[in-house]
Amino acid sequence: MKRALHSAVFGLFLASTAAFADDMPTILLVMKDGRLFPETLEVPANTRFRLEVRNEGPGAAEFESLELKKELVLAPGVTRKLVFHPMKPGSYKFFDEFHPDTAQGRIVAK
Amino acid sequence: MGNPFFVVWRESLEAFLIAGILYAWLKANDDGGAGRRALFGGLAAGVGLALLLGWALLTVQDELTGEALDLFQTATLLVAAGLITQMVLWMRKHGRTIKAQLHADLSAAAERCGYWGVAVVAALAVAREGAETVIFLYGLAQGGALSALAVGSALGFAAAALTAWLAAKSLARLNIGLLLRLSSILLLVLASALFVTAIDRLIGAGWLAPMLDPVWDTSPLIDDGTTGGKLLADFTGYRARPALTTLLAWGAYWTVVFIGWRKTGHG
Repeated sequence: MKRALHSAVFGLFLASTAAFADDMPTILLVMKDGRLFPETLEVPANTRFRLEVRNEGPGAAEFESLELKKELVLAPGVTRKLVFHPMKPGSYKFFDEFHPDTAQGRIVAK
Repeated sequence: MGNPFFVVWRESLEAFLIAGILYAWLKANDDGGAGRRALFGGLAAGVGLALLLGWALLTVQDELTGEALDLFQTATLLVAAGLITQMVLWMRKHGRTIKAQLHADLSAAAERCGYWGVAVVAALAVAREGAETVIFLYGLAQGGALSALAVGSALGFAAAALTAWLAAKSLARLNIGLLLRLSSILLLVLASALFVTAIDRLIGAGWLAPMLDPVWDTSPLIDDGTTGGKLLADFTGYRARPALTTLLAWGAYWTVVFIGWRKTGHG
């Protein structure tokens, strides 16, 4: 029984990593010295997509958006990926919590 | 380079506030000091855990480890929220009886259990926010200009400690009945905020469906994207654009707490 549960969980896990590997559009965001490049990200609406966040430093950065329910701390030089679920058309704000004065951005889903 | 003072203050405030309110709450329960010792032990363990978690987050290279760490952080939120709630309600029920039968073996054992809860909550609170501070400070250290940054960060820590100390101090000025009730309610509100954050993280990671998102938008009133709004969100669970799942979870939390509160009131 326990074994069946394990393989079921493992199966789900494989399925989720397989979903990871399919052709999602990838959008790049660079965080650098308290700035965002670009500050406005255009993404396709109603489509899963992957956001690749790269922190070029110096200093750590924290991609944060309560609206998008994402929070990601990045040490300098680190690149991480976030998968976003299909979003309705609209504008969604995010910011660098470690540099809130200068790093305010938005994701525009069209 | 951002503002080290403000970032460190904000990141450590939550842990300090939980510690400060727990301290006032333990004192109100007249525990004879064992609970407060457990609190300080937990805080110390939390610093160690924060360093460890920060280091793990810094060295993470692949997505799988990153996701596992994200999940671990979400789990710490859920555990902390659950433990705080359980502790507050348990103490509400047994606080008076503990004092009455301090020497009975049963209540002593139960008391020890409660102190473990206090220590774990304190450790988790410090570990979670502390790990982010560790990464932030590590980033600063790499950027150079150490002395100015060190001063800003140290002041940030001190300011957060002072804020929590003031909160605990002003709570302690109240009469014991009011103090007990108010500190319990503050702890429950903090726990609800941790719970809401955990639910949002689960939705964000795709583990939970948001159902309807957002249900409404109150950002013209209070925008949780601003600094003040974010603080409100962190400490009360406020969301300007809540998902239906988050809203239901929040409602379920307070329903359970309300029933528990009513039940324990006359014990």
